[in-house]
Amino acid sequence: MTIKHSLLAILAAEPTHGYGLKSRFEESTAGAWPLNVGQVYTTLNRLERDGLVVPEGIDGSSRQSWRLTDEGRAALHDWYDTPVVNDPPARDELAIKVLLAIGADGADVGDILHQQRAATMERLQQFTRHKRKADPDAELPWLLLLDALILKAEAEIRWLDLCEQRIAGRDAER
Amino acid sequence: MSAVLAFDDVSRVFGIGEAAVTALDRVTWTLHAGELVAIMGPSGSGKSTLLALAGALDEPTHGTISVHARSLASCTAAQRAELRRRTLGFVFQDDNLVPGLTALENTSLPLELDGVARNEARTRGLAALEAVALTGLAQRFPAELSGGQRQRVAIARAFVGERDILLADEPTGALDTLVGEHVMRLLRGHCDAGKSAVVVTHDAAHAAWADRVLSLRDGRLADLSLASGADE
Repeated sequence: MTIKHSLLAILAAEPTHGYGLKSRFEESTAGAWPLNVGQVYTTLNRLERDGLVVPEGIDGSSRQSWRLTDEGRAALHDWYDTPVVNDPPARDELAIKVLLAIGADGADVGDILHQQRAATMERLQQFTRHKRKADPDAELPWLLLLDALILKAEAEIRWLDLCEQRIAGRDAER
Repeated sequence: MSAVLAFDDVSRVFGIGEAAVTALDRVTWTLHAGELVAIMGPSGSGKSTLLALAGALDEPTHGTISVHARSLASCTAAQRAELRRRTLGFVFQDDNLVPGLTALENTSLPLELDGVARNEARTRGLAALEAVALTGLAQRFPAELSGGQRQRVAIARAFVGERDILLADEPTGALDTLVGEHVMRLLRGHCDAGKSAVVVTHDAAHAAWADRVLSLRDGRLADLSLASGADE
């Protein structure tokens, strides 16, 4: 569960209040996944219930700070030590669409592949324009996130190319 | 934007009769000043043929290719050679470095051939090597460099002449990801300064540095970035 572990990771540095957790999370992840502050409080309550965090006291602006417990630190290290494996794979609308379109009446797989390639290439160009402007020292999280998005888009285009080649190969044999 | 390179209904057929192979099939497109265009396509799709035609290294079977609004067919062989020397710059997959010359000598050679004084050619050659992060290896011979380093020397050599149109065939092919990205940044900078380039690549992440991405399939051309071209 990502939000839970993300909060533990931020609290490992120093005790922080709910709103501070939200801002710190968004800063570290280049604003890619905006957090609802209500989500943060609900998660903190659950973390407290499980003994992973405890209230640390009230700060000058009467905001409740939270501190990691030893159990919380252990849970965080378990998270760091466990590789992320999406099993079963996340549902992929594009893959499902292409697989179902093969051999379906009224579906032109070639058109689907071409349109998707153009759309994905456009996204890739947008990401790359952001990358051109990013400062590699001051905006490292943003740059790394863009790299991840670029590589995923690139993989999608390669998969579309491969679909086209395999389908052409099959059609040539018929 | 003014057109620096234009293909109008260009076909290139190799062989005759039943053995004829159409490498390019009625291709029309224009490269504008300040534009970086990427061409993607599977091997055998006609990418290298297109680049050879753009570089006046080959002639079309049908159609017209113009550089700076002048048809290549109307040029004499000497004029085409002059065009290749002054207007066009090439980066090939095979780096084409002269084995007996150092990285710096290879880089400043085109300038010296153009009549630039030796000292100035050297200074500009060093600056071009610095741009590809090779300053420390300027005195090495090609055999003493890795494949990626040789490719970067070839790129420095193409940049040093400040040609209007750079034609690059898989310029990032032998390079690791970060160095490849650096090369695309350099090509981007070349075009942002008002010059133009065509990059043939199979790598979508590198093609994405271009203003427009064209897709070649069986000798036919399709624009992959109509929408992004429209908003600029």
